[in-house]
Amino acid sequence: MAIHIERGNIVEVARGPRKRRMVPGSALLDGLAVVWTHWRESFRMNRDFSDIHGTFTQEYPDEQPKLPEAYRNMPILLYDDASGHELCTSCFQCARICPPQVIHMTQAKDPVTGKPVPAVAEFIIEYDACMSCGFCAEVCPFDAIKMDHNFELSTVDHPGLTVHKQELLRPISYYQRIAPTFWAEAEAGAMKKLQGNVKRRPDVIGLAPQLTEMLAARRRELAEQAAAAPPAPAAPAAAPAGEARKLTPEEKAAKLAAIKAKNAGAKGEAPPAAATPPATEGMSPAEAKAAKLAAIRAKNATKETAPAPPAAAAAPSTEGMSPAEAKAAKLAAIRAKNAAKNAAEGSAPPAETAAPTAEAAAPAAETAPLDAKAAKLAAIRAKNAAKKAAEGGGEG
Amino acid sequence: MARLSAAELRERLRNDLPAALVEPAPLNLKAAPAHGAQAAGFITTDAVVAPERLVAAALYLRDTLGYAYLSDIAVVDYLADGLFELGYRFYHVEGGPSLVIKTRVPRETPEVPSLTPVWPGANFHEREAFDLYGIIFTGHPFLRRIYLWDEFEGFPMRKDFPKQGDKYIGADE
Amino acid sequence: MLKTEELQINIGPQHPSTHGVFRMLVTVDGETVIDLKPVFGYLHRNHEQLAEQNTYLQNMPYTDRLDYFNSMANNQAYAMAVEKLAGIEVPERAEYIRVLMVELTRILNHAGALGFLINDMGMWQTQLAFGMREREKILDLFESASGARLMCNYFRFGGVARDLPPDFLPRLKDLLRAMPAFVDEMERLLCENDILMQRSEGVGILPRDLALAYSVTGPVLRGSGVAYDIRKAEPYSIYDRFDFDVPVGTVGDVYDRFLVRVEEMRQSKRIIEQILEQLPDAQGGHINPKARQNVRPPVGDVYARIESPKGELGFYLVSDGSTKPYRYKVRAPSFINLTPLGDMCRGYRVADMVVILGSIDIVMGEVDR
Repeated sequence: MAIHIERGNIVEVARGPRKRRMVPGSALLDGLAVVWTHWRESFRMNRDFSDIHGTFTQEYPDEQPKLPEAYRNMPILLYDDASGHELCTSCFQCARICPPQVIHMTQAKDPVTGKPVPAVAEFIIEYDACMSCGFCAEVCPFDAIKMDHNFELSTVDHPGLTVHKQELLRPISYYQRIAPTFWAEAEAGAMKKLQGNVKRRPDVIGLAPQLTEMLAARRRELAEQAAAAPPAPAAPAAAPAGEARKLTPEEKAAKLAAIKAKNAGAKGEAPPAAATPPATEGMSPAEAKAAKLAAIRAKNATKETAPAPPAAAAAPSTEGMSPAEAKAAKLAAIRAKNAAKNAAEGSAPPAETAAPTAEAAAPAAETAPLDAKAAKLAAIRAKNAAKKAAEGGGEG
Repeated sequence: MARLSAAELRERLRNDLPAALVEPAPLNLKAAPAHGAQAAGFITTDAVVAPERLVAAALYLRDTLGYAYLSDIAVVDYLADGLFELGYRFYHVEGGPSLVIKTRVPRETPEVPSLTPVWPGANFHEREAFDLYGIIFTGHPFLRRIYLWDEFEGFPMRKDFPKQGDKYIGADE
Repeated sequence: MLKTEELQINIGPQHPSTHGVFRMLVTVDGETVIDLKPVFGYLHRNHEQLAEQNTYLQNMPYTDRLDYFNSMANNQAYAMAVEKLAGIEVPERAEYIRVLMVELTRILNHAGALGFLINDMGMWQTQLAFGMREREKILDLFESASGARLMCNYFRFGGVARDLPPDFLPRLKDLLRAMPAFVDEMERLLCENDILMQRSEGVGILPRDLALAYSVTGPVLRGSGVAYDIRKAEPYSIYDRFDFDVPVGTVGDVYDRFLVRVEEMRQSKRIIEQILEQLPDAQGGHINPKARQNVRPPVGDVYARIESPKGELGFYLVSDGSTKPYRYKVRAPSFINLTPLGDMCRGYRVADMVVILGSIDIVMGEVDR
């Protein structure tokens, strides 16, 4: 039965007479020739990878092996050198993909509101069961988990291989050293995402726990901020700045509802008191509460309206924004201007009383946000306040 | 190269071994509810033969069609349908794609005639199927557990084998 | 004539020449093997059951642990099965990289396997050390590409984990320049060596028809004179683009299997050289499909097989439409190649038995699963 093979032949391995020299000792001499070659070659220095002969000994503990960038041993977590913030946001992607299921984490919660924060409270990897497959590093959308090159992991006891967050955290500079090109590819995206997440982390949440100095500094800073805040007049202005971090979808929806109700009221279609209650229907208690809070705030804002300045404050902050953000900010500014105009038409006197608040709001917009996103948020807030003021003015 | 498709094989079997071929019912392979919509019924395209005619069909493949090389015997436990499906995979020594004949046995009485007496290569495949699924191959010369120890109770690859607990320690401890 | 008595002895499970925890229950009459029953399962971990609990991608690192010598080949077989089931296209460049890795795997497997075989024959350590030295160089390349030496976990559905690092191809070219010297030296040292000839010629003969009936695969089948190589018989991936020969033996003894493996290393090198020529022109595409974390193939079953260095490695998958396989079956070459061990050893000496086992080239991780 002839087997047909394309692009190649069937070759029978040669075991014929060529193999049958049978001179006594010939194989021995052949073997010795090979040994001689190797012995001679062993004096040659090993120039490059192609050198089949030569010395290969690596004096290990004194001389650390050169590991390729892709080398993966055990996963580690990264934190930013400059700000001390961890890159992990506890999105649970790595815990889900992990084949032996050795990654465990809990999400951090805001101590005041109890809302989840994009930071990790505790992170545990069981190194003893980890199979070093590298999936966690591959799926991490924030480049927070990476594979380490350190292979000297022996411990004196078994629990030593259950590694907690504090032992897992390494600075980005460490990873940059072991895998420079990999980090260069990931850096821009990772840092941008980190900036966004840091904004949503209150208190000292998300700071690497071993950076005690940085933690202390941050605590001092927070305390100073709290002390520096003027007690009564600046309170409403400070509130939006503080709120910037914990704005949840429900709150947003509630505020939107309140604003709509006010708008309707301003147009004179229905009295605001009548318009607001239906909006709260069908909301959860928390949402209703937030809606009420928003309504009260809006009313307060009418007492000290700031129609024009927010627009002015929002304008300079467009510097350093991405085009999309700048656009959004501009839009917000325009809206704020419109709202201010409306308010001015409705009632002139409140605009004068609003002057101090406007001054208070402007520094808040300058100091609190470090980047464009926060500035945008501040602009929106200012716009909202202005709108409320206008509505309140129209009403009054 | 021998290239016989599954449909052609069914046609051949229908002509030459009319008693062997059975019409396969669609399988109700149920996806776990956590994974969303229910999977549709699974209809195999391979030839399904009656278990008692399995040896005849396999020998027909080997002697008449020349598919002399038994590559694999794969058991699948279709718990929802109450049956085991055994897929016998044959290859022609001149190359080409495989021919599969499948046979289905009820889960309560999983008995299939053994191929080992005529096909020594089936030996370990069948012992593996017995070990993990509890399929009884009648006529097998040495049907013993191949991976697990002889005292092991139960068949671990069956879908209803408990995945939690240790039956040697018991539930109390 | 001296009256002899039959005796049953255990070789293994913990015996240095059984290639892992493998037990042979041998009935001997003096030094002659009357009967042999392989006993295994000491490394059994119900790999297939484990795989049914995992998603498709999560199984990829577990396939590394089947035949821990050839993780790349295992990855390829599994990736091919899932791709066939889910209908995923693989970019051309990724296919070239895959075949490159698997052919390197074949070289390193044979370099190691021949070393162990020679070791079993009593030529202690020398050839094993030479083989391992070659293997190390290839493992270094694997490490730079995949991040690990043995448990590579390099293949993904529709591509590979990452593209080759920039220094990979130059290093590979260096390696290929040095490779013939190694094979030639091995041939010179061993192929006409008296010890090897006496220990392997005419030992453990597996005739052609018996080899087919036992459905052995890989170098064992080809050593018995059957030119059955899946790369030729049912070309998968891009193997139809390469010229290479299929070496076959004539007698079917240990010596033939040895020579077939030596020749296969040469042929693998030939394939790699052709890959290096064609790789720059290959269509790039998105070779690193990070997005395919949750493959959800349609309901159906599929069998995909490759010519692993040890033989036919196949994965049979049944999907129920969820993210986890309903059935996952491995057709392991080492496992099936053990079937004729009893017949191959019958009538030979106890010392030959060890050599015959070595010539099959088993890895217990794959046998026991």
